[in-house]
Amino acid sequence: MRMPRRVAIVGVGQTTHDEAQGLVYHELDYQAAKRALASVGADNGNIDTVITSGWDVVDGRTISDMHTCMAAGGYLKECSHVGEDGIMALVYAYLRLVSGLFDTAIITGHGHLESDFEAVSQVVYDPLIHRPVGASYTVSMGMQANAYMHKHGVTEEQAAEVVAKNRTNGANNPMAHLRAGVTVGDVLTGDMVCYPLRALDLPPRSVGGVALVLATEEAVRRLTDKPVWIRGLGWAIEGYELGDKDLARISSLDAAAKMAYRAAGIGEPSKELDVAEIHEATSFHELMAYEALGFCAEGEGAKLLAQGVTAPGGTLPVNASGGALSTNPYGATGLLRVAEAVLQLRGEAQGHQVDGAKLALAHGLSAPGGAAAPTNAVAILERSRGGGAL
Amino acid sequence: MRKVAIASVGLTRCTSHRWDVTYPELIREAVDAALTKVDLKPADIDAVVYGTMDPFDGVFASERWNVDACAAAGFHNKPFMKITTGGTTGGSVGLGGYYHVASGAFDTVLVVACQRVGESLEAQTVLNTAVDPIYERWIGGGAISVAANQAVHHFHHYGTTEEDLATVAAKNYSNAVLNPYAHLRTKLTVEQALATPMISWPLHLSDCCPSSDGACAVIFASEEKARSLAPKPAWIHGASQITDNYYLGDRPWFHDWDSLALLGRRVFREARIHDPLKEIDVAELYTPFTVQELIELEALGFCEKGKAAEFVRSGATALGGKLPVCPSGGVHTTNPIGATGLIRIGEAALQVMGEAGDHQVPNVRRALAHAWGAVIGFHTLMVLGADTP
Repeated sequence: MRMPRRVAIVGVGQTTHDEAQGLVYHELDYQAAKRALASVGADNGNIDTVITSGWDVVDGRTISDMHTCMAAGGYLKECSHVGEDGIMALVYAYLRLVSGLFDTAIITGHGHLESDFEAVSQVVYDPLIHRPVGASYTVSMGMQANAYMHKHGVTEEQAAEVVAKNRTNGANNPMAHLRAGVTVGDVLTGDMVCYPLRALDLPPRSVGGVALVLATEEAVRRLTDKPVWIRGLGWAIEGYELGDKDLARISSLDAAAKMAYRAAGIGEPSKELDVAEIHEATSFHELMAYEALGFCAEGEGAKLLAQGVTAPGGTLPVNASGGALSTNPYGATGLLRVAEAVLQLRGEAQGHQVDGAKLALAHGLSAPGGAAAPTNAVAILERSRGGGAL
Repeated sequence: MRKVAIASVGLTRCTSHRWDVTYPELIREAVDAALTKVDLKPADIDAVVYGTMDPFDGVFASERWNVDACAAAGFHNKPFMKITTGGTTGGSVGLGGYYHVASGAFDTVLVVACQRVGESLEAQTVLNTAVDPIYERWIGGGAISVAANQAVHHFHHYGTTEEDLATVAAKNYSNAVLNPYAHLRTKLTVEQALATPMISWPLHLSDCCPSSDGACAVIFASEEKARSLAPKPAWIHGASQITDNYYLGDRPWFHDWDSLALLGRRVFREARIHDPLKEIDVAELYTPFTVQELIELEALGFCEKGKAAEFVRSGATALGGKLPVCPSGGVHTTNPIGATGLIRIGEAALQVMGEAGDHQVPNVRRALAHAWGAVIGFHTLMVLGADTP
């Protein structure tokens, strides 16, 4: 991907992710947007374009962006809305900024408990064959985990190590939702939700909003002296039919990563990246993501984890924030990965800072139907202005 | 800033319910039409932008069902983005395709918009969930009631009459007869229109659009690519969208459309248009209700405020008039909600390319495509031209 203009993330805002904040979904966008703008001493008068995100069917209202666009400061501005996780709002805002038509953008995402997402996700599946057998977001993720386990001989214990790592990390992040560490034993004695996924292999449902302010090179100077530059972006969608593909690998993440690495000029991600925030739909999916992102060979995810490479203090800490397993505002979880990567690069990741992080990867998953046609997006972010593929 | 053009347009037949095809087949009908016209294969598409309004489909995330029909997945694993903004969805995906190419990231982008309103029990019940649950939902807030409000205000301030609305209806119906992709394809006289049942005073049934199943695919391309694909691409001269507040009660301007007027000024400035009536040859306005055609003509500066009825009575907006409006029959005769805005862009592009068939306006140099959505809160506009900008 060619990048004619440089774009940076200049402002970050997020709410806490408690379960009961008593706010309507667009109030979460509002709180996050207000904080992101305040973080760069700006208000909506400084913003040219607004992209919000989310799913009307999950929000329980049609045209939910009537409310989110306005809440993000979009009155009489050029706003749009992606029916995706917030990380795709980053992609769209980026495309708008590099086109040369805008200098600044704000993007928002929200997650809430106003609907039963698991029930809603069933309606992504066809009514004749998949829906009657109970296909859903979690069921399809369980099928993927199962296929992965059997193809590569991965065990439940190895996946539980992901949970232990991320939940321990989450305990150090003051903004995380679940702040109690868990052990491998806790995971393995938990209730089976959908084989092989036990309760703690799955993320919680969190309430929260996330917002980012973006600016082109010309506008960055007015807003911050700590910009985080977007060096590469990649995104891709997979086929719909679960039976049409190898469920043991995330091919759309593989494609998205290749696109982002090409743009960023990254040849050896595990050596070049300092920190990664991965949107792990389940514990098994973090291991699968290591492979799709090229951190290790196919089937070697558990080995990489066991070597401590992705632990805090390892050569490539993954989900130092606690990841989705600690905080999951569904619909903003991918965007939150980007926000956390930005905090790492700015040295502002309170309690969970990775020392000297200069180049980060953030991954977001936009998948209303789980493993049926998921979209994966990858952003490569850097602290310095050096490098960058044009 | 990169130059961007539309290289191809694919439309489907629209009816109340396309029982004859599944959802992916409906998408494939539009996508195949767009690809075949310029001899492209699915593998030639760099990225896809997709729009629909899920609640009107009665399923969640139909883009997932239809991703293979859009040539985006299968073995391809392509960049794909879903955009939803109510009635402006089709206009918003058009803008999405435009920005995908303008960014420099992609050369050939497939934009798809669709809707199967026939799958939902009643579109207005769905739309009612868009408005405020405490103050506006119980009074039946939605598209019809807000359009009736606009009509009442327009009647009161400018003396517009039911006959004026019926004149607009008769014009759109007679245009639709010429368009094989239109949903309602019957002649309608002013007298017949006035005799149709009252839906929400002063709007008769003939003033209101049907609800349709249909899809549209448009290929946006970079300058070099567009020239190699199409003998006469439709260039984008200006495009933008705007978001207004959402409480109906916050709007003092039902008889005018101030946010559209503001957007019009922005887009016409970008397209270097000083006198829209002289410099635009055809307009595909978003008119699910007849009265909105009048208000839009005024807001966009095609005539003075309050003079649109007179403008229409003069024959200016008919085929062969000074500014043919909705030669396709418009939203008024065909409304697959999420696709409708992109159909406006597609029809405007076809007019510029000289490929509109029986409803072609002669010698179109510039065409305007509009959409509104979000209970009259959102607008999109795109100016397409025959000359390279």
